Amino acid sequence: MQTWFGKKASGGSPPPSPRKDRSGLRVGIPKVLNVWSTSQFWVGFLRDLGIESENIVFSSDTSEEQGREFGKGRGTVDCCYPVKSISGHYGELIFGQKKKINIILSPMIYSLPSFMRGHVSETLACTRVMAGPENIKAGFMKESDVFADNGIKYASPFLSMAEPEVVPKQMYDCLKDIFGVDLAECEHAVEAGYRELRAFNKKMRDASREIMAWCARENKPCVLVLGRPYHMDPGIGHEIESDLQAHGYPIVWLQYLPIDDDLMNWIFGEEIKAKKIRSALDISDVWTSSNSSNTNEILWGAKVAARFPWITCVLRLSSYECGMDQPTYTPTQKIVEAAGTLFFKFGDLDSTKPAGSIRIRIETIVHYLAKYSDQIIQKKLVLLPPDCPLLAGKEKTLAAVASNEK
Amino acid sequence: MSEGNFVQIAPLMREPGVMEIKTPEKLKPSTNGAQICGIDVGSTTVKYVLSSASGEVISQAYERHNTKQAEKVLQFLARLEAQHGLEPKRDRVFFTGSGAGLIAPLTGAKVIQEVVAVAASVERLHPGVRFVSEIGGEDMKTIFFNGNEKTKSKQVLMQSACSGGTGTFIEKTARKLQIPPEQLSEMHYTGHTLHKISSKCGIFAEADANTLLKAGVTVDEIIASLFEAVVYQNLATLTRGNTPSPEVLLLGGPNLFFKGLQEAWRLHLKRIWKERKVPMPGGGDPESFITVPSDALYYAALGCVEIAMGEQPHVGVYQGVKQLHWWIEEGQYEEKKKQGRGGLCDSEDNLRTFIDVYSKMDATAPGNAAANAAEVSVAPKKLDRVLVGCDFGSTTAKAVCLSPEKELLFSCYALSKGNPIEDARSLFRQLREVIGDGEILGLGITGYGKDLLKGILGADCGVVETIAHASAGLHYFPDADCICDVGGVDVKIMILKNGAVSDFRLNSQCSSGNGAFLQGVAERFGIPLSEIADGAFRAQAMPQLSMGCGVFLQSDIVNQQRKGWQAEEILAALCSILPLNVWIYAGGMNNLAQVGKKYILQGGTHKNLAVVKTQVDFIRSKVPDAEVVVHPYSGEAGAIGAALVSLDWWAKGGKSEFRGFDTIEKLTYTTTTSKETICNWCPVTCQRSFIDVELPGGKGRDWSKVPIGVGWERVIVNNSCPKGLVEDVNEMRVIKAGIEKTKNAFPNIADMVRQEGFRRVSASISA
Repeated sequence: MQTWFGKKASGGSPPPSPRKDRSGLRVGIPKVLNVWSTSQFWVGFLRDLGIESENIVFSSDTSEEQGREFGKGRGTVDCCYPVKSISGHYGELIFGQKKKINIILSPMIYSLPSFMRGHVSETLACTRVMAGPENIKAGFMKESDVFADNGIKYASPFLSMAEPEVVPKQMYDCLKDIFGVDLAECEHAVEAGYRELRAFNKKMRDASREIMAWCARENKPCVLVLGRPYHMDPGIGHEIESDLQAHGYPIVWLQYLPIDDDLMNWIFGEEIKAKKIRSALDISDVWTSSNSSNTNEILWGAKVAARFPWITCVLRLSSYECGMDQPTYTPTQKIVEAAGTLFFKFGDLDSTKPAGSIRIRIETIVHYLAKYSDQIIQKKLVLLPPDCPLLAGKEKTLAAVASNEK
Repeated sequence: MSEGNFVQIAPLMREPGVMEIKTPEKLKPSTNGAQICGIDVGSTTVKYVLSSASGEVISQAYERHNTKQAEKVLQFLARLEAQHGLEPKRDRVFFTGSGAGLIAPLTGAKVIQEVVAVAASVERLHPGVRFVSEIGGEDMKTIFFNGNEKTKSKQVLMQSACSGGTGTFIEKTARKLQIPPEQLSEMHYTGHTLHKISSKCGIFAEADANTLLKAGVTVDEIIASLFEAVVYQNLATLTRGNTPSPEVLLLGGPNLFFKGLQEAWRLHLKRIWKERKVPMPGGGDPESFITVPSDALYYAALGCVEIAMGEQPHVGVYQGVKQLHWWIEEGQYEEKKKQGRGGLCDSEDNLRTFIDVYSKMDATAPGNAAANAAEVSVAPKKLDRVLVGCDFGSTTAKAVCLSPEKELLFSCYALSKGNPIEDARSLFRQLREVIGDGEILGLGITGYGKDLLKGILGADCGVVETIAHASAGLHYFPDADCICDVGGVDVKIMILKNGAVSDFRLNSQCSSGNGAFLQGVAERFGIPLSEIADGAFRAQAMPQLSMGCGVFLQSDIVNQQRKGWQAEEILAALCSILPLNVWIYAGGMNNLAQVGKKYILQGGTHKNLAVVKTQVDFIRSKVPDAEVVVHPYSGEAGAIGAALVSLDWWAKGGKSEFRGFDTIEKLTYTTTTSKETICNWCPVTCQRSFIDVELPGGKGRDWSKVPIGVGWERVIVNNSCPKGLVEDVNEMRVIKAGIEKTKNAFPNIADMVRQEGFRRVSASISA
């Protein structure tokens, strides 16, 4: 499949020289929000600027302890816990490091490099998420500049990551003084960042494909998680899917579903031929205002779940009072359930893991998975062409997929 | 106003009394200037300050009103007229506080919003203050002052919807712990080990305190933990990104009277200042910037005086107590009638029709058995081939027998003795009576300890509660959309889609809406559980109670009682708000229409027809064409569901592993209760017991502190939460190893992202 980024030249050229020595700079990145889906971009970008690997520091996973220890009282009036939790991450990067960091890099990501770009109207980030860093920064600047007090420079580039051609300039405008970079360096580093991100995404998609191929071969079910990228953060999504995994169900996430032509054709080919949709990544049949990147992907994931036979259950994760998720609850559920796929929503996720209720819920889901999976697989298989491309590939055991990735 | 003008005020909860101030000669009320009286009508006390026209304080006092706000104000005004010459048509009165709105108009007074009043007196008396915390009986407020002189602005944050962080929160628990008020006010915060107490809800805090007490934690440590919870709740919810900077003023009764609370504030504030490197004005000792004025109670009343002086002379002119008198004698009762609503049913006929329909739904109610398929308590003859379902609850264990055709043939129960083996024996003895040498085709168990008992009884299916209840509900009402189970201590709402539970709400954060609360109130009125419904139906009118926090509901009830509402009327009111608490406050479900049209009510609380009536009315008000039914075997639904699941399993060719009546009867077990069996997962340290059962094929626990050999299995009891079912870290390791093995065999993409996505992270994070 031709993707928008596929057209760009790949392979790295040597960085423009002469380059400033940045080997002593330590850069901290809060592991929050859309950094979860762009992390490898940041690694590639910073390394290309000459930051040493060991000097790139991601904050740890979100946790209540982190919030209490580092973020207490610096929160803002915001019901979005993924945004609120940033104060703990900032605090940890400022106060929780043995070796002090010099720069906090907390991007305001305006648009995302989604794989659905070109098939949807826009791939924008949630505005609240985009402005999250600015919102939380205020809590650290209110009485005095806590960053400066601790010898830290705060950098928050505003980025249209969906448009790689404007990103170097945006980076340059924000970082020129902080990193002492010129535009050419930024261009080179941005390219390196996208390259890392593409490689990482491909690796994850390949792993998902292996899992799904195993399911097809063994005729066993797997579970798809529909959530936002940061629900992978154990403090935000509470690792709810892991409890299902512990019952023997492999887990795939919509962000990294395989989008290879053969598979997409098998799943969506008939509908493209019938002109119901323009491409496999077209969601205009179910979602017309396709502006939000993560929302678009969630809707598309729901469509895949509804069709792919061996995804017999969908876990929908959503954070407390998420205004972006609100209008998608009913559509995603209806899409997923259309052909009988099980759908379970864990909504209103907040700081505390509701362990008791999750346990009962997981046992409930396991019961239905065991009871209905075979029926669901059969029911959906009938609706698709006979020759599943996943059955053609070479065999790989699930354990091999798991260990390969470690 | 100088310090010397005030006498030391005795703690609030000792003998309440008037603290009269010796009026200095020069402050004698003059006839040419109107006196100003500021009265603060709070949730627990009334306070007044009387001042001269120029603002000098002549007299001040406070007393508890015990929910009789108007009466207390009248008493105060009368006293002020007699002793200080407060004169109608000349002097001026300004009210503030939660009760001001109702009383002020009756006396000609003007109402000042309480935060505005407090801020006014703070600004005058303490111009250097940047942060004020005022904790009241049922609310808490913070005021931040920013800028200086002309640019001075204030930010006010207040919460009054929940008891967390308020005075009631502390007092309620202290009462439960039987700590006399004078002792409470002297108790300390510093120097004690702190334990985790829910800072969010007063009722849960009480429960936490109880658990701690049972576990042997000292009363001093519990109270210190309460102070910690209150300060934490204030800082966590009411600072919103602002740093409380010096100088700090602590106001309100609890801040004044509880030494320990002051200590907690001092510790937390000093810690925050140190962490955030907040400079002390003039570099002084941080301690000196935290002030609890001896007249901390009167700031709102003083603020009224302050504001009054800036008002036009005709504002707030005192009109005497005549109207107020009328209100107390007659007005409030007339109001009671006006405000209250009609009874639970609009007419006798409708009530009779309702009872007629709904009393038949409960198959276990006396006299109803004939109307239903089977007389279930005694089986007519020996049963032949049956499926057995057991539900091991926390108070009772129940068992049922179903025929392969899904007919309910028999049911029995045993009161729980806290030992599941004995409970099981008791159930199976009763089952043996009717089954004899008949065949058990399948055995399903649900409820507490199902996983532990499964192996011991040889049960074929361990069924999670939701599935058990949903299966039982769907068996009788296949087209149901929702099951609402209101038990004694929990509320479960299950939403059904395509015959499966698609979503459910389990209320565990807040005590509001459960059956125990209703029962508790009835008990206080001396009304037995079985008579709540009749009483509630008899009420021709009832007060309007507010939905929400159980702690406030309790004081609301006292309040309504004072207004003259009777026990039955209050019970009716409680029944009528129960659905709101269940669905909206606890369940968080605002859009019932989305759930569907057919609702099953089950759980013990729905044996009360008055609750059923209000539930039906509530659901129909949201979904006009809803069909609401009560499960015929409300109490046995869990056991029936377990039996139905085992029936499915048997129908698919399962062969029962049931160990047989003899084996269960002859089970050999030992019970160990010792230091080694104490649970160490959290500071509560429950004293658990291990029941070890000899069982062919038992795996043994050679890694345990109380080891058992192969051929034995262990059941853990007396734990207060699910975590306690895991023995200790050793077992956790064994369990985790098992889970890891499964997880390695079945990958999760998120695991890979978590590991790979942030590679190149240096390992130097110290956290």
